[in-house]
This record gives sequence, structure tokens and C-alpha cells, in this order.
Amino acid sequence: MMNIIEKRWKHVRPILYKVVVILLTVLVYFMVYFPILVIILLSINESESGQTFTALSLKWYAEIFRNERLLTAIINTVTIALISTVVATIVGTLTAIGISSLTKSRRIQFMVLNNIPVINPDIVTGLSLMLVFSLLPISFGMPTMLLAHIFFSIPFVVLTVLPKLKELDPNLMDAALDLGCNYFQGVYKVIIPSIKTSIIAGALIAFTMSIDDFVISYFTTGNGFQNVSIWIYSRLGRRTFSPAVYAYNTLIVFVTIGVLGYINIRMNVRLKGEKK
Amino acid sequence: MKHLRKLSFPYLVWMMTLVFGPTILILLLSISDLDIYNLGTFTITFDSFSFLGSTKVINASLNSLFYSLTATFISFLIGYPVAFFLARSHSKYKTFFVSLLIIPVWSNMLLRIIAWEKLFYPISILNMFGISLDLIGTPLAIVIGMVSMYLPFMVLPIYSVLEKLDQNLIDAASDLGAGPYETFTKVIFPLSLSGVVSGTIMTLLPSMTAFALPERLGAGKVQLIGNVIQDYFMKTNQVNAGSLISIILMIFIVIMFILVLHFDKEGETLI
Repeated sequence: MMNIIEKRWKHVRPILYKVVVILLTVLVYFMVYFPILVIILLSINESESGQTFTALSLKWYAEIFRNERLLTAIINTVTIALISTVVATIVGTLTAIGISSLTKSRRIQFMVLNNIPVINPDIVTGLSLMLVFSLLPISFGMPTMLLAHIFFSIPFVVLTVLPKLKELDPNLMDAALDLGCNYFQGVYKVIIPSIKTSIIAGALIAFTMSIDDFVISYFTTGNGFQNVSIWIYSRLGRRTFSPAVYAYNTLIVFVTIGVLGYINIRMNVRLKGEKK
Repeated sequence: MKHLRKLSFPYLVWMMTLVFGPTILILLLSISDLDIYNLGTFTITFDSFSFLGSTKVINASLNSLFYSLTATFISFLIGYPVAFFLARSHSKYKTFFVSLLIIPVWSNMLLRIIAWEKLFYPISILNMFGISLDLIGTPLAIVIGMVSMYLPFMVLPIYSVLEKLDQNLIDAASDLGAGPYETFTKVIFPLSLSGVVSGTIMTLLPSMTAFALPERLGAGKVQLIGNVIQDYFMKTNQVNAGSLISIILMIFIVIMFILVLHFDKEGETLI
């Protein structure tokens, strides 16, 4: 009797394992994607309150360009994201090159410092920066928000670029110097081209960290300077909340899927080329 | 290579200023009556400590611990098997599925919170499917929201560790007579601990300190420690009391930080 049960169990176990794994995978993707789907649905819903689905309509997409306050917030968000990405990528890459040439124990100390903003909850980073900025002779608004975004973006660039630098041949730089490069040329012509993909990955992470940040921006802005998140927060539960922001978010999601898909395809093509 | 070390110095100065500067400032604010917006003389006082005993702060702290631990535990329970499954699969679409987990993170978090909020009211677009949820203001609503927001931060670090795991170690375990269960508990799981620790902390800390999420999904009935800090700093201007509560929070964060350092010195599982 025992034997039969055991034999059956041996057959059932792999199937049961598969069923559980598939159910869990579906649950994970459902939890993460459900709000996105709801936002897409609300963006093509004619109703303003979003409580019921009244009719299919693209009017909120046109509304993005008519709602001046929202448009300003979008422009602010993109401007801050672009500038902070460029600065964070340059500073982060150069810093990572510097860190990789340190001794191991110094490198670890440096990375501990670098990872503080990554692990720190946004609220702690936000209010810390708010306090420091309040001591400086700068007015709260675009400059403080920009500084804050640069601050929290650099560590991510460093974290992305450093592992690639570790894979590089340590003699590469010396070889470049022997062949007549100066230090600037060595970095610019030899090191940077060989870590190009990680720099792009780092820049992408920095950009996406900046474009949807709320908490840190909330603590470091002022004088009515709003990005999209602050626009949303200040209008929650009020009549001035326009569903056009759902349309904006839907566009952002599709653009990121497009960019990610494009990079994936290009990387696959390159991998195939290398195998040949 | 030594000459390149100079490149890291400016960032070192910048980080020292912006990381340790505010910490010292918060410490000072929490034990004095210094007015940050109107600097002048100040005296050391422990007035702020009276806020610690207030029911508001105690309740918010207990709520924070309860909600974030529950959300983190659920995320781990459903996230680990999926990370394991993705990392071990040989599918062509593996990277595609992993990147699918990152995309939602790039969409505005406040809007994703609003999406859940709209569904949790009895009257919602779900009515057209004959479903009516009445969850707004309940603990379940907040936990669902937290799991939905922070699940990718649990799955991705675990995935990245398991992905790099050497297949030879697993083969060796089975050659030496370990069954699938033993291989998992004695080889795979211990080796994935750095990812588990990073994932746990990347889920636990943000859910613990969230303030927009409990505000919306808790319908103002539930206060977490993030709400209290936000109140003190942005609404009632009690910067000194807010600083003291931030210090308590920072002590907790430092403990978590040491835990990460123990498992992953250079932060390789953080992204």
C-alpha cells in the first residue's frame, strides 16, 4: 500500500512543482503589472473620475498638451532627468575608474560610502538633503532638486560601471601609456570605449531613477517648482487632477518597453555575431 | 594605474559633505532647540524626547514594523521561487522576462498607488466585471500595495545571485548523494543568502518608511513612521522632533546596513 502511494507521489511531484511555480510566477507578474494595466485602462477611459468605464476615448492624450501646468511639470521632469543623467554619468564613470585603481580595502570603504544613498530610504535621503540645502545660500526649486537628483543618481552609475572595470586587463592602461598616450588620452581612448555598454546601462538607470522620483523631489523642491510626481501629489483628491497624467505615464511605459526591446535585440544580434 | 586614483577624490569630498553633514545636523537638531531656517544661538535641550512617548509615534512605529515585515515576508515567499525558476530556466526569453519585472518600476509609483486605491473603493471599474472590493483603509489594502510596489526589489537581487551560481556545485552535490531537497537547503539557499539579504532590505526599508502609500491606501486611518516624519518636517514645522525620530530610524537602518556589508561588501547585489 505504502509503495503505491510512494510511486504515485514520484509521478505527481514534478507536476505539482510545475503547477506551483507557474501559479507563483503568474501571481508575481500580476501583482506588479496590474496597476500598470489599470493606468492604461484609465488613460483610454472617457470618464474623468475613473470610477466606471464610460467610453473609449483618446482625449486625455490630447489633454497632455492642453493642460499647461501638467505640461510644465513634464518638461521640468524631463529636463531634470536629462541634466542629472549627463552629470551623474560623467562623474560616476570617472569616479568608478578612480575607485577601481584603489587598493582592495580602500575600494571597499569607498563602496560602503557610495552605497549609503542606495540603501537609505528615500525619506531619509530627502530630508537630509533638505537640511543641508537650507544652510546653503541657494533658493529651493530647480537648483536644489537638480542637485538632489545628481546626488542619488551617481551611486547607481558607479555600481553599474565598476564590475565591468574589474573585468578589464589591469595592464591596459599601462600599455596605452607605453604607446605614447597621456593619462587623459588613456582614459578617453582606451578605458572608456571598453566599458561603453556599462556606461550606457548606468545612464539608463540614472535616467529612470530620476524621471519617476517623488519623495526626494518632494523634500528638496520649493517656490512652486513641480515635477510630475509633485504635480500628482498636490492634486490628489482634488478636482484639478487630470487623467491626462495616466496618458503621460502610459506613453512612458511604452517608450521604456521600446528602448528595452531595442537594446535586447541589439545585444542578441551582437552575441550571435561574436559566436560566429 | 595609481595616477587614476585622483579621479575618485572629488566624489569622496562631495559624499562626505552630503552624507555626514546632514547626519551631524540631524543629531544636533534632535538634542537642541536650533532653528534651521533662522540660524542663531541655541541651547541643548532634550524636549524632543517627550515626543517619543506619544501614542502617535509609538503606534506609527509598531504599524511600520508590522506592515513592512508582513509585506517583506510575503514578497520573499512568492518572490524566491520565481527568482529561482527564472535563474535556472534555459529559456531564450529569460532576459525578456526579467526585464519585464523592471519596467513597472519605471512607471510613476504614485500613479500605481492611485490605481490600487481606485480599485479598493466599493465603486470602481471592477464593477463591470461584477467585482466590488471594499478594502480601502484596511491592513490588507496596504500590504497588497506594498507587495506590488516592492516585489521587483526582492526578486531581482535573488535572481542575480542565483544566475551566477556555479552549476558545478549543484552537480557535485548530487554526485555526492544529495537529493534535490538537500541540494537546495545545504548548497543553493546558503549561497543565495547575499541576494536574500539585499532583497529583504530593499523591500523592508522603503515599505517601512513609505508615506504616500499608507496615506492613500490607508485612507488616512493608518499612520506609519514616514507619515509622522513628513508631518513634523513639512506640515507642522517641528524640525527638532522630526530629527529625533529620524535618528531612531537611522539607528535601525545602520543595523540593516551592517547586515548587508556582512554578506556583500561591494554592493554587487544591489542592482
